[in-house]
Amino acid sequence: MDVVLQQFINGVTVGGFYALIALGYTMVYGVLKLINFAHGDLCILAAFIGLSVLTSGIGGANAGALLLAAAFIVAAVAIGIAGAVLEFTAYRPLRKAHRLSAVVSALGASMLIENGIMLIWSPEVKVFPSNLLPDISWKMGTASISFVQVMIILGSLILMAGLYFYVHHTRFGTAIRASAIDQDAARLMGINVNRVIASVFVLGPALGAVGGLFVGLYYREAYFNMGWIYGLNAFIAAIIGGIGNIPGAMLGGLLLGLFNAFAAGYVSSSWQEAITFALLIAILLVRPTGILGERVAEKI
Amino acid sequence: MTPPAGGTPLLALDGVGISFGGLRAVDDLTFSVAPGEIKGLIGPNGAGKTTVFNMITGVYEPTDGRIHFAGEDITGRPPHRVAGSGILRTFQTIRLFAGMTVLENVLAGQHLRTRQTWWQSLLATPAQRREEAELVDRTMTTLERLDLATVAHETATSLPYGMQRRVELARTLVADPKLLILDEPAAGLNDKESSALNETIRSIRDSGITILLVEHDMNVVMNVTDSIVVINFGKKIAEGGPAEIQSDPAVIEAYLGQDDEEAIA
Amino acid sequence: MVASRRTPWVALRRAVGPLLWLLGLLVPILLNGSWISIMAIFAIYAMVALSQDIVLGRAGMYDMGHAVYFGVGAYVTAILNTQFGWPIFVTWPVAIVAAALIGALLSAPIVKLRGDYLLVATIGFNIIFVLALGNNVANLTGGPDGIFGVGVPHLFGWALSSQGTLFYLDWLALAAVLLLMRNLERSRIGRVFRYLKEDELAATTLGVNARNYKILAFAIGAGIAGAAGTLFAVQLASVSPGSFVFTESVTLFAIVLVGGQASIPGVLLGTALMFVVPQVFRGLAQYRYFAFGIAMIVVMVLRPQGIWPRGRAR
Repeated sequence: MDVVLQQFINGVTVGGFYALIALGYTMVYGVLKLINFAHGDLCILAAFIGLSVLTSGIGGANAGALLLAAAFIVAAVAIGIAGAVLEFTAYRPLRKAHRLSAVVSALGASMLIENGIMLIWSPEVKVFPSNLLPDISWKMGTASISFVQVMIILGSLILMAGLYFYVHHTRFGTAIRASAIDQDAARLMGINVNRVIASVFVLGPALGAVGGLFVGLYYREAYFNMGWIYGLNAFIAAIIGGIGNIPGAMLGGLLLGLFNAFAAGYVSSSWQEAITFALLIAILLVRPTGILGERVAEKI
Repeated sequence: MTPPAGGTPLLALDGVGISFGGLRAVDDLTFSVAPGEIKGLIGPNGAGKTTVFNMITGVYEPTDGRIHFAGEDITGRPPHRVAGSGILRTFQTIRLFAGMTVLENVLAGQHLRTRQTWWQSLLATPAQRREEAELVDRTMTTLERLDLATVAHETATSLPYGMQRRVELARTLVADPKLLILDEPAAGLNDKESSALNETIRSIRDSGITILLVEHDMNVVMNVTDSIVVINFGKKIAEGGPAEIQSDPAVIEAYLGQDDEEAIA
Repeated sequence: MVASRRTPWVALRRAVGPLLWLLGLLVPILLNGSWISIMAIFAIYAMVALSQDIVLGRAGMYDMGHAVYFGVGAYVTAILNTQFGWPIFVTWPVAIVAAALIGALLSAPIVKLRGDYLLVATIGFNIIFVLALGNNVANLTGGPDGIFGVGVPHLFGWALSSQGTLFYLDWLALAAVLLLMRNLERSRIGRVFRYLKEDELAATTLGVNARNYKILAFAIGAGIAGAAGTLFAVQLASVSPGSFVFTESVTLFAIVLVGGQASIPGVLLGTALMFVVPQVFRGLAQYRYFAFGIAMIVVMVLRPQGIWPRGRAR
């Protein structure tokens, strides 16, 4: 039973950062119907930025919690800005063009960011020092939950709750949801759709940035082409939950995290990936709009 | 030319209905089209006319009722099989293939009469090339009939609206349909063009094709149809010849509150 | 397509392709070893890119897992040749049929999906495929290092082993594929693919069985990619999973978009840019792909229809 509990704890942790990254995909897709292939790379870029802040030696040896907070803030802000710049340069000019042109632009952006990371930091794996976080853990039966896991779970929950509140209980949040449903109608209602899109490209990446830094802190490593794997997995999570649907991304992230944790016990990691994708295909065939997704009819 | 009364209908809808979520779009619709007839289906906006067409042509599957065509039950058949049975249609918003010429568009109508297999196509066998030439010939003949031969190599979607409608029509005619369904063929046409359309519709019928059409333009409906079915809110409210329909109180009431142009006068 | 007005400009455009191909025949004579091999690789990738164009550019389906079929062809040849001693030319039709069958089988369940979902499903297939290869499935696929020692084709007892002869083989195969593409355009299937891409609904109301034709598009595209796969295995004398990873599919996808959908010169140009240029600029190693990424964005933003889009309806 405690093995199950441990796997559950691990699963929820991993689910937390997958959910944060998935939110970026789902918000962008909801508003633009575009799969932002560069998103995963942006999130991993955050891990590198965070790492640089944490190893910069600012504040001396005992900077502790403040430095940690600073790392998150700097990463989130930087990636938020990067997201907005990305939208403005690579996607906005292609709004009227064939959908696939934006896809290719996104792929180019992904390549750019990945290789940018490689050039700036290193082609090799960067290790996160072990003294960044307190080495505490709490026991729950024979299972244990570590500091980093608590941080990730709590952090993810708080951010997701915050986003949910923002999207459902503020005017601008409603504007975002409206634009996702019908951009033209939203525009006619006086919503500045350009601003909505730009802010989605700030919010989504910023949340994903926190997720990316969580990834780095959890696995204590980061390498330049990590973006693909985590990005793809988070994207699957978004689809499982229902692409374009915000609670869906959260649910999908959680489910994927749990699935990974429980499958890890029984199946080798390479087959695990295969199973994850097989699961994705199965979902696409049976219920492509995902668990919480809506069925949208086409008027003929 | 009015078709003989009685005899088996070519198309028969029997208690056909469909719901979209909670909305009952069409309810218990029963009517039939006799062979060689020109039947009109009219009703105020949103009455469900295009939905009826979509059900007949297999785009939607009715939730209730049955549809019979030429003695067969075609309810719920997918669009390509409905076309195979001999029912072709045009669309309310013209659906020509963008980026392709008039000739290429109209060739599409011959799809079901094309015999070449995929490997014959890839290898460009002599038989395939002969068939291609025949297809083009037949298509050009239809284009000539509809006065479109001169624009055969123009991009279809670059033509004036009225011509695009003729191209779409040509595309269905080249398929030799038994029943032709026209969804608002006069939309966007001026008076002169819609009179020409009346002529065209009559000559199509005279060549042996049965016609079912939806139209708002009363100049067309009243002058060209043999009988009319009127629906409102998805239900049939009247059926009969043009004169009867014009004076039917239920029909008049359905159109009250519409713009003057759409009122029957 | 169909007989059209023959302006002198059109005739000239039509002549350029065959002329360039004829020029290519001079490559082994005029250029040195590494260039011959680059051009051979170009021919092979061009075939795969053209086959990707059939599915994506012509039939309009978002296939981002096309490397699978390339890999099937390559691996079938490698396995049959190294493990069972089959001559290369005998493995070739088998590879083609195997790839086409897999193309049909994989696409059958997913062609009904809407664009983006289809795209994701094809990515999934690609990833599963590479994982399976790397895990030495059925003890045939040789694990992450792949299979070595793929032989050379023999023609009437004569081994085609030199770079030059292999190049000619690839160049002739490319010509064959170009011919197939041209025939495709002038045939019913070619038209049906375009109808499906432009307006699937209208096509079905004219009697087109959309599902069957979509699967057919995948099968033909897969078969051609498989044919190229055989040549690839011979060229490298080996196969490994790394050549068929998802990023290769992404590159193929990008080639069609950047070059120009359904445009033969566009796809060929795109192949040259995406595959040949990096090879040429190997020296700039690290900066290559960074520059590439920028280039992809710039090209798409400045010319969303591709560098050499398909000409207007002729």
